[in-house]
Amino acid sequence: MSIPISVLYLMIPLVLGIISGYLLRNKKQVRLEKVSLAIIVVLIFALGFGIGANNELLTAMPQVGFQSLVISVLAILFSIAFVIAGRRLVKR
Amino acid sequence: MIKYIIAALLLGGSAGYLNNNFFNVVPNGLISDQLFAATLFVMLFIFGFSFGLDKDSLQKMKKTGAKILVFPILVALGSLVGGLVAGLILSLNVSGTMAVSSGIGWYTLSGPLIGSLLGVQWGTIGFTANFFRELITIITIPLMVKLDKYAPIASGGGTTMDTTLPLMIRYCGKDTLVTAFSNGLVLSLMAPFIIVSIASL
Repeated sequence: MSIPISVLYLMIPLVLGIISGYLLRNKKQVRLEKVSLAIIVVLIFALGFGIGANNELLTAMPQVGFQSLVISVLAILFSIAFVIAGRRLVKR
Repeated sequence: MIKYIIAALLLGGSAGYLNNNFFNVVPNGLISDQLFAATLFVMLFIFGFSFGLDKDSLQKMKKTGAKILVFPILVALGSLVGGLVAGLILSLNVSGTMAVSSGIGWYTLSGPLIGSLLGVQWGTIGFTANFFRELITIITIPLMVKLDKYAPIASGGGTTMDTTLPLMIRYCGKDTLVTAFSNGLVLSLMAPFIIVSIASL
C-alpha cells in the first residue's frame, strides 16, 4: 500500500476529535461503540483487500511464511516480556 | 468482535484477489489506499472525540507520564531480542531477522525498506513477519489481555496508533488510549531508523 499516511495525517483527526469531544463534553453522551465497530470492519476489509490484490505477496506466503511466523512470534513474546518486567520494576 | 474482524479480513482478501485477477471492478488502490486512509481518518476522529468527551482524560494523561517513552523503548528492545533469537533458531542472517523484527508491525514500511536494503527475499519476510505481528495481535488480544492489561499494546507495537488502536481501547480499557497511541507513534518514528541501522551492520 502506498498510502501517504504520515504522522500529521494521523494527528489531525485525533486532535480535531479530542477538541470537538472536549467542547461537547457537557452535552448529551454519545454512543460510539456501534460506529466504531462499523469503521473497524471497513478498515480491516480494506486491509485484506490490499493483501488479496497483491499476487506477489500471495505466492510468496508459503515460502517465507514459516520464517516470518517464527520472527513475529518471538518479537511479540519478548516485547510482552520486557513490558511486563518493566511494569513489575516500576511497581516496586 | 473478533469474528467480524476475521470475516472482514477474509472478505476483503477474497474481494481484493478477485478484483485484481478477474474482474477489475475498481482500481485496487481505491480500496486498499483511499478507503483505508479515509476510514483510518474517521476512526481516529471518533476515538479522539470519545477521549475528549471523557471528563477524567486529563488526569489519566498525567498518570501515564513517563510510560510515554519507557513503554515503546521496552517494546523495541523486546522486538530486537526476539529477532536475534529467531535468527539463531532458524540459522538465518541475524542482522536480517533483527531488521525484520524492528519493523515492529509496520509492514507497509518494513517490506519496501528492508527489500531495498537487503534484497527481495528479506523484503518479503519483512512484510509478512510484520503483517503476522498485526494479525496475531488482532486474533489473540482477548487472550493476551488476561496475561497483562498492557500485553496487547506491547504485542501491537507500531500498529497501536492506528489499525489496532480501537481494539486496544475496547479490550484494554479507554484509559490505555494515551499509552497505546503514544506507543505506536514513538515506535513508528523509531522503526525506520532502527531498520536502517540494523540492516547496515
